[in-house]
Amino acid sequence: MEQQSFAQDYAEIMREQSARGISRRAILRSALAMGVAPLALGAGRVFAETRPEVVLVNWGGLSVEVFQKAFADPFNAAGGNLVIDGSGPLNGKILTMVQSNAVTWDICDAGVTTIADLGPKGALEQIDYEIVDKSKVVDGFAYDLGVVNYFFSSVMAWDTSKIEGQPSPADFFDIEKIPGRRMIRKDSQAMLELALLADGVAPADLYPLDVERALAKFESIREHLLFWSSGAESQSLLRDGECVMGFLWSTRANMLKEETEGRIDYTFEKGLLQPGIWVVPKGNPAGKEAFHAIASMQSAAEQIILLEQMGNGPANPAGSDLVPEALKAVNPSDPANTAVQAKVSAEWYFENHTAVYQEFLDRIAS
Amino acid sequence: MRILANPMLRYWLLIAPALLAMAVFYFYPISHVLWMSVTLPEPGVSNFESLAASRSVQRMLWTTLRIAVLSTMISLILAYFVAYVISTVDERRRRLLFMGVVISLWISVLVRAFAWFALLRNDGLINQALIGMGLIDRPLPLMWNEFAVLVGMVHYMLPLAILPLYSGMQSIDPRLVAAARGLGASRMTAFWKIWFPLTLPGVFAASILVFIYSLGFYVTPALLGGGKKMMVAEYIKVQILEVVNWGLGSALATLLLIFVLVTLAIVSRVVDLRKVFGAG
Repeated sequence: MEQQSFAQDYAEIMREQSARGISRRAILRSALAMGVAPLALGAGRVFAETRPEVVLVNWGGLSVEVFQKAFADPFNAAGGNLVIDGSGPLNGKILTMVQSNAVTWDICDAGVTTIADLGPKGALEQIDYEIVDKSKVVDGFAYDLGVVNYFFSSVMAWDTSKIEGQPSPADFFDIEKIPGRRMIRKDSQAMLELALLADGVAPADLYPLDVERALAKFESIREHLLFWSSGAESQSLLRDGECVMGFLWSTRANMLKEETEGRIDYTFEKGLLQPGIWVVPKGNPAGKEAFHAIASMQSAAEQIILLEQMGNGPANPAGSDLVPEALKAVNPSDPANTAVQAKVSAEWYFENHTAVYQEFLDRIAS
Repeated sequence: MRILANPMLRYWLLIAPALLAMAVFYFYPISHVLWMSVTLPEPGVSNFESLAASRSVQRMLWTTLRIAVLSTMISLILAYFVAYVISTVDERRRRLLFMGVVISLWISVLVRAFAWFALLRNDGLINQALIGMGLIDRPLPLMWNEFAVLVGMVHYMLPLAILPLYSGMQSIDPRLVAAARGLGASRMTAFWKIWFPLTLPGVFAASILVFIYSLGFYVTPALLGGGKKMMVAEYIKVQILEVVNWGLGSALATLLLIFVLVTLAIVSRVVDLRKVFGAG
């Protein structure tokens, strides 16, 4: 047998890795560094026969594993090549990529505010509803520049060891009645809605938001407020007893309830149901293949895995029927839970988010 | 190799790679930021106008300046004592102390912030100990405020202040103080008239270093301030990454850069910067 050269061996390793889903670009980069690019390009031919790689970026942590299991594994088993990257698709990062013509992401796990901030700057692709199936989306959550991928809620949680009985949302703003620190997200989205709902605004009359009234509510308790930036932070602030109450995501509230064995409790009542949204950066490398990946992830059965593992509600209406009885209570988009919550108006955010967020930061969170 | 006969040219060739790297990876991006601040969203000085008009920006800048000045002052005073002790003890102790200072310099700023979190929070070591001893009956508000930010920042800045102070003190001839004492000066007089003036270059070096570092500090205020003590670095980050208002973000970055340069220029009028940073 002929002796194998280092370069051949290297190309072979790369070929193996490419089968395991390392991007072609990464292979080329490392091959260039090793001076064996021509061989690695040969390895790339394996690729050309298969479909292009789709890079999906989410927020890291547990969600990388869960997305892999729920979405990437089934898609890849059917001949696709979906890679999960947990590096966090912040708006500014997406815009930087698009403006410098160096887009490496195909699908980003984003929200309505991403469409609001990046849509007008032309940084997002139109969703191709020829490929993505609108009938597998809860009514009203298929937007031009994004499509719902799961639901989550912003809810109120509290520390039962410090508060007797279930506090009402109005108590959140009543320091006399319940002394102690409260935490909110360092973002206007959902926080303004929760303040207005607590102040007695009916869910149906929520939009257009009375921003002034909501900000005034927060200003009235400003010195008692703490601000969280990441979901993990919101969890630790309540777990460690730094706050008696808080507005946070239902997913985190649910994890807290489990890990503290009920010491931290939460309610969907007067919460806000929000869509997580897939957006596709303008000029994404995989092109239309990204929409095929999105279509594949519309499977209700796959979305239920997210609910089981992380508490994200399925975006496919067929999903609600598949939800096991035990998980219904924690499903943000379960009919019983949506009935007591308000729903976010994406249209309002498209118009107002940038300015309102800035004002919220200036007046409340700085 | 005729060209290399010229000594000046040889020196330039030696530093050329470093200069080139600076130009490509430092000056180019910075000039890009400066450019963005006057071109986005439209050409003109509108970003700087909105900086001047916004009360919240002014409040944030004031917070930044206040925290930077306070942490510089506190760090300097504490560091002066430490540097003094290190430069006067015997060799073995000096090594131990020095190691302590340098090791704390190597610990990640995140780890240090979280360590303070463990100490200062309501259920933290300090509050629990004080409550346990019966000195207080409710936890003191040690976390999520300017106090916590200052504690965290001073802790981070201390090695940065100690090292230049120590290097200055080490180069002082100890016989000078002895001579002053021999000529009848009291301990205090010898310190203030001889020792302290000789340490001034070190004091300036340490203050400049710590002050400029503090101005652009991000992690500690963001973590220990509970989101209520936003300093300029965090504000810029929010503008660039979250609000996606690159014009305003780069205008603030420009302002910070100008402020640092002006500070250096003013200081250089008072002292010889080259001397302060060890040259000549």
